[in-house]
Amino acid sequence: MNLMQAFKMAFKSIASKKMRSFLTMLGIIIGVASVVIMVSVVQGQNKKQMEYLEAMGDNKIQVYAYQNYGSSGNVSELLYEYCLGMQDLVLGVTPQIEVWQEITIKYGAKTFNTQNWDDWDKRMSLKLGSDQYGVCNNYTLASGRELSFLDVDKTNRVCVLGGGAKKLLFDFVDPVGETIFINSQPFLVVGWYEPTGVEGMSDMDNMVLLPYTFNRTLNNNQDISQYVVKAKSASATTLAIAKLKAFLGGFINDENGYYDVYSNNDWSDQMQEQSLMQSLVLGAIAGISLLVGGIGIMNIMLVTVTERTREIGIRKAIGAERRSIIVQFLIEAAVICGIGGLIGIGLGCMGSLIAGKFLIQGMILWPSSMITIGAFTFSVVLGVVFGLYPAIKASSLQPVEALRAE
Amino acid sequence: MLINIKDLYKIYNEGQESEVRALDGVSLQIDRGEFVAIVGASGSGKSTMMNVLGCLDVPTRGEYVLNGTDVTSLKDRELARIRNREIGFIFQGYNLLQDLDALDNVILPLIYRGTSIFEREELAMAALARVGMDDRAHHRPNQMSGGQQQRVAIARAIATHPPIIMADEPTGALDSKTGRHVLSILQQLYREGTTILLITHDDGIAATAPRVVRLSDGKIVSDKHQEVDWL
Repeated sequence: MNLMQAFKMAFKSIASKKMRSFLTMLGIIIGVASVVIMVSVVQGQNKKQMEYLEAMGDNKIQVYAYQNYGSSGNVSELLYEYCLGMQDLVLGVTPQIEVWQEITIKYGAKTFNTQNWDDWDKRMSLKLGSDQYGVCNNYTLASGRELSFLDVDKTNRVCVLGGGAKKLLFDFVDPVGETIFINSQPFLVVGWYEPTGVEGMSDMDNMVLLPYTFNRTLNNNQDISQYVVKAKSASATTLAIAKLKAFLGGFINDENGYYDVYSNNDWSDQMQEQSLMQSLVLGAIAGISLLVGGIGIMNIMLVTVTERTREIGIRKAIGAERRSIIVQFLIEAAVICGIGGLIGIGLGCMGSLIAGKFLIQGMILWPSSMITIGAFTFSVVLGVVFGLYPAIKASSLQPVEALRAE
Repeated sequence: MLINIKDLYKIYNEGQESEVRALDGVSLQIDRGEFVAIVGASGSGKSTMMNVLGCLDVPTRGEYVLNGTDVTSLKDRELARIRNREIGFIFQGYNLLQDLDALDNVILPLIYRGTSIFEREELAMAALARVGMDDRAHHRPNQMSGGQQQRVAIARAIATHPPIIMADEPTGALDSKTGRHVLSILQQLYREGTTILLITHDDGIAATAPRVVRLSDGKIVSDKHQEVDWL
């Protein structure tokens, strides 16, 4: 009996035992699909978090500091000067201010608003910062220039646009040298940033940046309390945090104000640790479902042993060699498990896409090929082993013993 | 001499208290073209006899030469070849594969024989036609009566045109009318030169065989030739 014939016989056998074939496949389908979906959800989640962290920037030190009204000294200027003094550690420093009042931003016939909460894609945010705002927040200049120290010092009417704001206001035209109107006051666009492209964080791109000295006129002179210091490296971050704490502690105490210094690095470590935990937990759950699927395969294969033992007896009685029986059962098991595995992968991919759409902000999730191949191989090997083992055993019996199986 | 056995033993649990001697030193010769009924009460060893003669089981001791070949020394592969080409089996319980239709059941031994795919169906249909079952070729066993199933089983046994047919209580599960029909098919095969071995506990059926070998407790107690009316 040749291989072609063995294939045909296996297919005939599968087709004639639809229920058993389906049940065997079901175990594999569930096992493979659940592993694929869970792993890709975890990976998608991790990817999302890493993107977010990258956009937020590494080695970014958050400084929260204010002095009660009436205290002498200006924290913003003191901090700025102090950071200039540690240029070996620090790339830049900026106040981090968002104007929360209603502000209109206008160019030509296009008007945008900071309070347009109904339509996030059209909402514009107004940020105030120093000449180092771009460096501190990981922006890359697309054209033009950053704010300058002089712009801040002299409260010049200039602005830098985020990539989203540039697109909304100017479309494809280069905005550098154009004038936009912020609350009817003219501002000269001196530069614009490349879009960061982080999904779900449109306010990082739909933003207009002004020198922070406009805090007085455009932000009702609100207290400035948040700053970002960008350090050169992870070790510089640690050192700079210590120095900043010492410096701020030198003139701020519980009586006249409050300060705190921390970095995103800690947060990023925490998040990574957390996502590793998530991966492990979901991986374990996925592993368990694979195992349950495997036990399902095992059971259905072993349950049909008697029935199949008799079948093997009949086949041997009419002239089947041991080898042809084993080859037939091998192909049968491999085909059932293979088809089940492929259906499982298909369902897993569909499930991943659906999960990505609804769980991870419309992210296109595609399962990793390593995991997919791993889950597929595991189930197929399991199915083949448990499909084949009884066949090997039964085919080595004398035909009469196999025929006796009830 | 087609079948020649000498001092054949089949002993279960040998040497233990529960020892059973299903065949206890049996010697028997059967020539090509004979019709032999092997009779005996249940437990007399007649089914074991057929299983050993049909290479479905191995004897504990003894000689068995089939068509000039010492069967006791053969390996699985060669035994499979003998079961496929030399012997056709008919069982009391039909032993058809339930998931295949009549035609596919009959085709099965032809597949194991390596018959070309273009001839198989023709040969199988011819075998079904011989037992009058060609009109049921695409029925499954559970859609057929016992007699019809046994006829399909006979078609399967003769599909490869083996020189020997071994039938173990082929009429045991059938009513007397269909039983007679099945017997007449065997008689027809005999007339065409096939060697028939018929195992039965029924003396009425044994009476239709030209030669009757009687077994009791694993031993041959008589071996007689007789006149039959159908010849």
